[in-house]
Amino acid sequence: MDVKGDHLPDAEVVARVLAGDTDAFAFVVRRYEAGLLRFATRMLGSRDVAADAVAESFVRAYRHLASCRDPARLRTWLYRIVANRCKSYLARRPFADVPLDEAPPIADATDNEAAVERAEQLAAVERALARLSPEKREAFVLKHVEGLSYEEMAAVTGERIPALKMRVHRAREALLRALEQLE
Amino acid sequence: MSRTPIDPRIHDALDGGLARDALSPEARRAVERLEQAARLLAAPPAGSLEARVMAAIRRPAPSRLERLVRWLRTPRAVTLRFRPVWSLAAAVAAAAAIVATSGEEPPAFGEHEGIAQFVARFPGARSVHVVGSFNDWRAGTIPLDDPDHDGVWRAAVVLPVGTYEYMFLVDGERWVPDHLAERLVADDFGRENSVVIVRPVRR
Amino acid sequence: MRLAALLLLAAAPLAAQSVRSRLEGRVPAAAVPAVDSLVRTAAGEGLPTEPLVQKALEGGAKGVPAPRIVAAVQLNLSELRAARELLVRAGDVPPVTAGEVTTVAWALRRGLPEPVVERVVAALPRPPRAAALHAVADLVAHRFDPDSSADLIIAAIRQGVREERLLDVSTAAVHEVQRGRTRPEALAAVRRRLPDVPPAPKPARGTVARARRPAPPPPP
Repeated sequence: MDVKGDHLPDAEVVARVLAGDTDAFAFVVRRYEAGLLRFATRMLGSRDVAADAVAESFVRAYRHLASCRDPARLRTWLYRIVANRCKSYLARRPFADVPLDEAPPIADATDNEAAVERAEQLAAVERALARLSPEKREAFVLKHVEGLSYEEMAAVTGERIPALKMRVHRAREALLRALEQLE
Repeated sequence: MSRTPIDPRIHDALDGGLARDALSPEARRAVERLEQAARLLAAPPAGSLEARVMAAIRRPAPSRLERLVRWLRTPRAVTLRFRPVWSLAAAVAAAAAIVATSGEEPPAFGEHEGIAQFVARFPGARSVHVVGSFNDWRAGTIPLDDPDHDGVWRAAVVLPVGTYEYMFLVDGERWVPDHLAERLVADDFGRENSVVIVRPVRR
Repeated sequence: MRLAALLLLAAAPLAAQSVRSRLEGRVPAAAVPAVDSLVRTAAGEGLPTEPLVQKALEGGAKGVPAPRIVAAVQLNLSELRAARELLVRAGDVPPVTAGEVTTVAWALRRGLPEPVVERVVAALPRPPRAAALHAVADLVAHRFDPDSSADLIIAAIRQGVREERLLDVSTAAVHEVQRGRTRPEALAAVRRRLPDVPPAPKPARGTVARARRPAPPPPP
């Protein structure tokens, strides 16, 4: 595999794929899968379901790559596809038919106090995040976990920036309240 | 119902317009909590999707006819959207009633007992068990049956009235939530349990 | 009185013994002391212990590593504490029953906001409130507004609808949405018909005949 491709700008990778170089799409996957998987996991609450959603999103992105209007904004386009997929899944639940397989990996398997404390904190934050509505959850994760700017968030969600700012504010408040309730 | 909003300077600090030391200790603590939450959530996930995605891309896309056939063959969970879960259970039970019962006496029910019905589709599975807080999460005490080998597994279980969490255990190794259950709850281990509320049979 | 105190003292170490024996062999050995300690803490605070034991057994059954099991049990203990505080705030006189603490913890886990749980608890001065809280949580899980959902269930309670029939009130509202109404319309439609509620689902005779109790656990 051509390692040099890892440094090519998105616009050029997209051009190569559209010109027929299917293998070049692997650069796209490698470059964005961690962020997209993390985003989907936080939205859907399950790593396995998120992996399905993101993998399907990548396949969809490949098949519709020509419709990515601005290849320089590939990242926001991909987040948009994943965000929409998560929205559909959350709206359908609990009627979705998705099996879960492996146990989730944890960062530190050794039995010591720091690992327990960290695991406890993460579990509490996950639980608090799950209490937020999907819109607030999406706003908090895109802003504070994925680090998108408000302009990028507008491109991902289709919402206007003032509305997104309000959503992020409400999400922060809701998350603080939920964290306090779990203390 | 209204809530007192939080100190707006917390938002200013998080949006970058205000220095931390301009905040009250309480507000600073709130800012730190949110930032810590974001850091914890930002842990990168393990594993790569590259192989899976590239394999799917390289497979030729199915023709329209193939896609239609696949759609017709796949059981659509989505059709259940307009039918409540209990009537599905009733439909399944009605179908089961046509099949001759074993001839044994039905169990006598106590005052505080009810029936939980479980139905799931696992074509190709060798065994399916329900495991949950009604059997101390012990596999093997509540098997589902698929007598006609159509991949639809069922069980009707007598349980004390109450609320329980559970999952299916397929082939003794795969944990799968019951997606027909209308109630789901986080299991605190990164997955979701299904929830069943057993109602008294005698009332 | 003294006899009762003596019996209580005798029962405590016996109860502790049985928790350990339930955990051993089913939960990773590394987690057993910590979980045992958390269970004792809960017992000492007058909180229910069974939810904690169940969570540990669940983790063991699912093959979860020890630190994560301990973290989950710790989280559950915090939730039980929060549940009890809520019950006291809502007007229940201490000591609140273990069953009610578990019920309120359930409601919070299913995503009901605390003020809504307090309202429902206050509307039903005496336990059990499990069905009422689950009925509200069912509506919230179907994206109904939490306060409006509580309004409907409290209205049903005030009109004499009791216990698990409240679940049928929620089911009726969900059906209205499936038939095409908006959520506010659905709540209003069901409310207008109170105290009439669609009949509770009854398992078919075939199901009742087939129903079996769980097999006993295999001997150790």
